Amino acid sequence: MEFLKKYILVLVTGIGLLAALILFSLNVPRNREANVIERGVMNLFAPVLKPIANVSGMAEDIWEGYISLVNVHRENTSLHSVIKELGSRLAAGDEALLENRRLKNLLDMKDSIKSPTVGTTVVGEDVSSWFRTLVIDRGASSGLKVGMAVVAADGVVGQVMKVAANTSRVLLLTDHASGIAATIQRSRARGVVKGKGEGLCTLEFTTREEDVKVGDLVVTSGIGGVYLKGLPIGEVTMVKRGQYGIFQTVTIRPSVNITRLEEVLVVLRGGYE
Amino acid sequence: MNRRNVLLLLFMVMLSVVLQVAVLPVYIVSSFKPDLLLIIAVFLGLRGSFEKCIPIAWLLGLVKDSFSGLYLGLNAFSFLFIFFAIKNTSDRLYADSPGLFVLAVCTASLACSAIDLLLLMMFTSSGGILYSIFADLIPYMLINSFTASLVTLFPWYARPQEAP
Repeated sequence: MEFLKKYILVLVTGIGLLAALILFSLNVPRNREANVIERGVMNLFAPVLKPIANVSGMAEDIWEGYISLVNVHRENTSLHSVIKELGSRLAAGDEALLENRRLKNLLDMKDSIKSPTVGTTVVGEDVSSWFRTLVIDRGASSGLKVGMAVVAADGVVGQVMKVAANTSRVLLLTDHASGIAATIQRSRARGVVKGKGEGLCTLEFTTREEDVKVGDLVVTSGIGGVYLKGLPIGEVTMVKRGQYGIFQTVTIRPSVNITRLEEVLVVLRGGYE
Repeated sequence: MNRRNVLLLLFMVMLSVVLQVAVLPVYIVSSFKPDLLLIIAVFLGLRGSFEKCIPIAWLLGLVKDSFSGLYLGLNAFSFLFIFFAIKNTSDRLYADSPGLFVLAVCTASLACSAIDLLLLMMFTSSGGILYSIFADLIPYMLINSFTASLVTLFPWYARPQEAP
């Protein structure tokens, strides 16, 4: 008895270790099956594990969704500013691309004109709504004179009317006071293009017998010396011949989009002080 | 008119011209551009002194003519006419009333268009302008009245003092 009392701890430890070793060795070949103990433990903890996992998940959500948001908010703010900067760069890039395209078209027009020209930017419009004039950023210091022709990439814009040192005002071809000697490109019928005010023009003094059809291109005739011959003015959109009268009514839509003009060329030819 | 009021007037005129020539056309259709110089002229007619504001009204018209159409003096005449008309009636009215100001601007817009049209028909050959003026008349009156009503919302408008 005394022996047992003395060595009980060693004995129990040894037996325990041996039993554990036997259990382990017995389970080694069946390592892919859950035995009674495993199943029991798993079943025992199953009802507890799920709520605990949920609570743990909630805690994680709280941590990541709220407490960590201090950093996320900061990151969000900095990303917003980066997006803004990139957005503005993108917009500037697009703007530069469009400007490049417009200027390229304008350069093509410049090359086709045989007189010297000066490029200008439109900086303002007429104060009243019933007159059609533009303000450009070049004046007498750049060699501009009253009466010089103004053209854009698509065709005739008008002519310089009031010249100051560094700015000028351009009378658009759609103004009521504007008149341009013109020719129908196809049939060579002649007339005078007058402004109608609301973004359209009419071809006046074209006799009823002249051959004018919808879709015909109207170009400058060069008569009068203000505009070079052959510059596009617009396209015929309506032809009306009444029963009586000498002339026909011809409506023209200008080639140039007057409302979206940004850069124009002034032809440094003719004009007067 | 003290120096502060003169500077304020100059600033307002410059701001109006810049807005009307370069800023508003980018965002607003030309028919709906307010005539800020006309609104200033009407304001002067209601609040300003007769002697001091006569040349100012005429000069405001000249400034408008410098950025509008081809005929210098057209709006100068109509502004002066409108100023005289308002000044001669404003003495009998409660000129500080915001409602009266809006009504005066609306009437002045109509009068300005009518005078411009009359002068253009009499002295120039731009007969087709009749259509343009009539087409834009209602929007012109409405937008000017609306802008005038916005002007009356400014706190300084309520102050009973002489116009700048």
